[in-house]
Amino acid sequence: MLRSVRIAAAALALASVANAEEFTWAETTDPQTMDPHAVNSAPVLGFLNNVYEGLVRRGKDMSIEPALATAWEPIGAGEGWRFTLREGVTFHDGSTFDAQDVLFSYERASDEGSDTRSWFAPVSEVRVVDDYTVDILTSAPNPIFPDSIANWMILDSGWAEANNAVRPDKDNGNYATLNTNGTGAFKVVAREPGLRTVLEPFDGWWDEATHNVTRAELTPIQNPATAVAALLSGDVDFINPVPIQDTARLASNAKVKVIQGIEARVIMLGFPHEAEALKYSGETSDANPFADVRVRQAVAHAVNVPAILQTIMRGNAEEVSQLVSPAMRGYSASMAERPAYDPEKARALLAEAGYADGFSLGLKCPNDRYLNDEAVCQAVTGMLAQVGIKATLDAMPVQNYWPELRADNYDMYLLGWSPGTFDAEHPIRFLASTPNEEKKLGSWNFGGFSNARIDELLPMIQSEIDDSKRQAMLDESTKILQDEVAYVPLYVQPLVWGTQANIDLTQRPDNFFILRWVTVN
Amino acid sequence: MLAYVIQRVFQSAIVLLVVGLVAFSMFRFVGDPVDNMLGQERTQADIERLRSQLGLDQPFAVQYFKFLQGAAQGNFGVSYRQGRPVSDILIERAPATLELAAVSGFLAISIGIALGVFTAIRRNGFAANAIMSVSLIGVSLPTFLIGILLIYLFSVELGWLPSFGRGDTVMLGGWSTGFLTESGLKALILPSITLGLYQMTLIMRLVRSEMLEVLRQDYIRFARARGLRERAVNFRHALKNTLVPVITVTGLQLGSIIAFAIITETVFQWPGVGLLFINAIQFVDIPVMAAYLMLISVMFVGINLIVDLLYFAIDPRLRVDRTAAH
Amino acid sequence: MADTSLNTPAKPQERSRLRVALESDFAYQFKKSPVAIVSALVVFFMVFCAVFAPLIAPYNPFDPGSLNLMNGFSRPMEPNAFTGDVFWLGTDDQGRDVFSTILYGMRISLFVGAAAVLFAMVLGVTLGLLAGYLGGWTETIIMRVADVQLTFPAILVAMLIFGVAKGITPVEYRDQMAIWVLIIAIGLSDWVQFARVVRGATLVEKNKEYVQAARLIGRGSGAIMLRHILPNVLSPVLVIATISLALAIIAEATLSFLGVGAPPTQPSLGTLIRIGQGFLFSGEWWILLFPAVTLLALALSVNLLGDWLRDALNPRLR
Repeated sequence: MLRSVRIAAAALALASVANAEEFTWAETTDPQTMDPHAVNSAPVLGFLNNVYEGLVRRGKDMSIEPALATAWEPIGAGEGWRFTLREGVTFHDGSTFDAQDVLFSYERASDEGSDTRSWFAPVSEVRVVDDYTVDILTSAPNPIFPDSIANWMILDSGWAEANNAVRPDKDNGNYATLNTNGTGAFKVVAREPGLRTVLEPFDGWWDEATHNVTRAELTPIQNPATAVAALLSGDVDFINPVPIQDTARLASNAKVKVIQGIEARVIMLGFPHEAEALKYSGETSDANPFADVRVRQAVAHAVNVPAILQTIMRGNAEEVSQLVSPAMRGYSASMAERPAYDPEKARALLAEAGYADGFSLGLKCPNDRYLNDEAVCQAVTGMLAQVGIKATLDAMPVQNYWPELRADNYDMYLLGWSPGTFDAEHPIRFLASTPNEEKKLGSWNFGGFSNARIDELLPMIQSEIDDSKRQAMLDESTKILQDEVAYVPLYVQPLVWGTQANIDLTQRPDNFFILRWVTVN
Repeated sequence: MLAYVIQRVFQSAIVLLVVGLVAFSMFRFVGDPVDNMLGQERTQADIERLRSQLGLDQPFAVQYFKFLQGAAQGNFGVSYRQGRPVSDILIERAPATLELAAVSGFLAISIGIALGVFTAIRRNGFAANAIMSVSLIGVSLPTFLIGILLIYLFSVELGWLPSFGRGDTVMLGGWSTGFLTESGLKALILPSITLGLYQMTLIMRLVRSEMLEVLRQDYIRFARARGLRERAVNFRHALKNTLVPVITVTGLQLGSIIAFAIITETVFQWPGVGLLFINAIQFVDIPVMAAYLMLISVMFVGINLIVDLLYFAIDPRLRVDRTAAH
Repeated sequence: MADTSLNTPAKPQERSRLRVALESDFAYQFKKSPVAIVSALVVFFMVFCAVFAPLIAPYNPFDPGSLNLMNGFSRPMEPNAFTGDVFWLGTDDQGRDVFSTILYGMRISLFVGAAAVLFAMVLGVTLGLLAGYLGGWTETIIMRVADVQLTFPAILVAMLIFGVAKGITPVEYRDQMAIWVLIIAIGLSDWVQFARVVRGATLVEKNKEYVQAARLIGRGSGAIMLRHILPNVLSPVLVIATISLALAIIAEATLSFLGVGAPPTQPSLGTLIRIGQGFLFSGEWWILLFPAVTLLALALSVNLLGDWLRDALNPRLR
């Protein structure tokens, strides 16, 4: 309680200073913790990217650039990576950054209780060579390792020890849940969970500041209409996301700006590959039509993606043919064509498969997870009905959705996937590999899609150093997934941000809001 | 008297226990907290480990018993979402809801009584009938829509009032108040109107019908016959006698204002316990949901208990016939 | 919630005379009140439209196969840019005709409202009679259960029932489940006021001489409750039922805002408003305005009727 008194007093004192370059922004969800290793979720990592830094960071175009490491190179023939650390970096509390902090952060982030543990699955050992050199050894050659650790943030070992936060504690929380001590461009000066989080620029930051923000405040606003109202009335400077339907109206308003981009997230339809029979079908309850690839192809041809993009997404999204968007590394450019909308062909395929009269099924859909997810599912229901597949839509909040999918309670479902590594290997590992608990493969492959060649290709892709050979293998798996219609990729979800007209900022495809790229004019 | 009090307190305690039990039996239907707590790259093993760590693999009766054990010592557990003690969070959020409830309660009572008296005295006047009909609009639209329309009109179109939140607050010994800053007061206006509108209509109608009832009584006629002035009759005698049932109903309504602040707080992003609860449902934050429900139950049961006891004290013959005023 | 005047039921008189008096008086009162006539007409008209929606509506919005997504966001009375179709009140994001959707939505709203109130009324009146007449443990248990019920906000009751129903309903009935869950959830959060009022009135009635007399001549408890007490508490029940109907329709809308309402493929008025409010800032005002005005007209008329009914049934207020 005493702490919150102090926080409020500090906030009040700050409010009275009333500097020009104050910046307020609203997001749908509050970062649930300030601990960068406790929770692996976009709101947390996105926010903490402003406060903490990793060895590498992503630039405006998502490319990897030096941060706390100035250089890195492979060791031997793929035994690991050597990172040269930046000298003269200090944490917000003034202590210096060195190799011990990297080792400590590795141990902390790969701990049993850490949510970021899976990032370090390929790592066999981290060795401190000297104060500013660290070797990270991998059990197999890992060409994309530096790409995969951009969100691995470095904590000060001394600070963590002094404050009893040596390991992340997700269940009970510890000092690091509410307090921060990073090396990033901004420091947290007040934190009231669920209400607001106040940031100020860090004077001792090693890099040159390109922003002109003197104070920034994040407030979560869940109701999209309230957020739009807050932007229009000038109560906040920036909102993320702008509801798709409001983009055109906001764009025509001189007071505000709409910034649009393509997100990494691909929205797709999934099938129950393994199921013996449909669960929600009156007449087809003894067979699984989706076991026949022609039925899956029929679904792909039945969905009129251009119409969905035209109306529901209002021209703000792009159709996609595979599990990753064109912006991702390893995208198969030669297979960019998605199945054309062709209801005649869909009906013909269904007839060929023995379902000339169609069949009925249950379509599951979240209603608060992806942009306009429920409306898209509704439209899909209508389009399927036009080729004879009578889908019953069951849309639900996401907290009920995942348990339902895990329990196999669906005949068809909607899924969005954003590859954490920004690489085409990611969805193969999580969505296309035969589920294998031990090897941690296919953990989001709810339908149990299984293809021997894909399973064979994955480890080869993971350890291939040569880019063109790797791409050839990625292309081969894309081809298999397209031919087999493992999923029906629909479109890449758009990113729509809204700001006041006097704000300049940069939108990154991972939907992370980077405060150091903000200019208040 | 004492026996009755003991009996009622005992019953209230049982009510609370039942509420808790029902609450716990339903939590598993709200959803699965584990998905929100683990990232995209979780495995089935992670899910099971976390589940057993949180005690979610135990039957709900056991979970409930553990919750009671903790609650008895003032420990409501740690929020799954925030990783902080639930009691801290509730204490932090309570002032926002209480201030909102107080202001909208005040608006509802003052305006409700004034309009109620007016419509009763001018029973057949045009203005009174118009007020009666117009006031119904407030209860004929869903609260969330009224809130959104108010925001649209006063924040977006006119730009007079803030669209969300509490504005600046000041800490007064652990209590964050929005009463002392201009932005805090401005921020209170729209949400308290949204929340109070329904209660205002209710109180107005109640006062009106009570007044009409009282104005027919012999002693009022007698007072008039004695030549007392109309105003004195209306206010000194009539209004005074209508206030007892009004206060009772208002007391009971105060509890529901706080409970139904959920919607208003969601629309206005008002950082109170109602919003906390809605967020807790979204993230299946069981400790927060449990504590909130217990809090609301304690409040309702407490208000019920007090009202019952008051009635008993005033008129033992009536026993618990307080429903007559409800 | 009810009004105090509800709890002063009509003085016990001989039944037939009471009814005759009430009926003629009723008719007179009704003719005298233009508000009552207009609201009754509006309610009647809306119920008529809802019942005959399939005959009146130009489209069937509940048939997903008949929708053309390219018709989405047509403005009222203007031809659609892609298809050239004209819709009186425009279309929503799915290309559904707003006019037809409102008619069908009203059907669901009225059905949910009426069924929920009926459920609450039967439950509340029964329990209220039992509690008031039998007293003792029966009363204690019923009234404490009522306390528990009051403790849970309706929203929560709905979510609970939703979840439980999902768990126990066979999969093929799930799509119809939402409507029944709404009915039960709203009904359950509403029965308490019926029970309280009926119990209060019963407490007063049961000590009256005519009840004592009935008991003396050997009438059973059930018969006394049904034949003697029930008719005397019915007028407040009727008033509460009317006001509850309006409340239930609104409650359904609120629940839909919180995501536990009627499914979007078979929307009620409340669901339509929930969907429409997302288009408040985007310029498609018709998606929100028309359902909202319909809901307002319906709820307002029912409320006004309830108002009038309360005054009309309480002769002392005139």
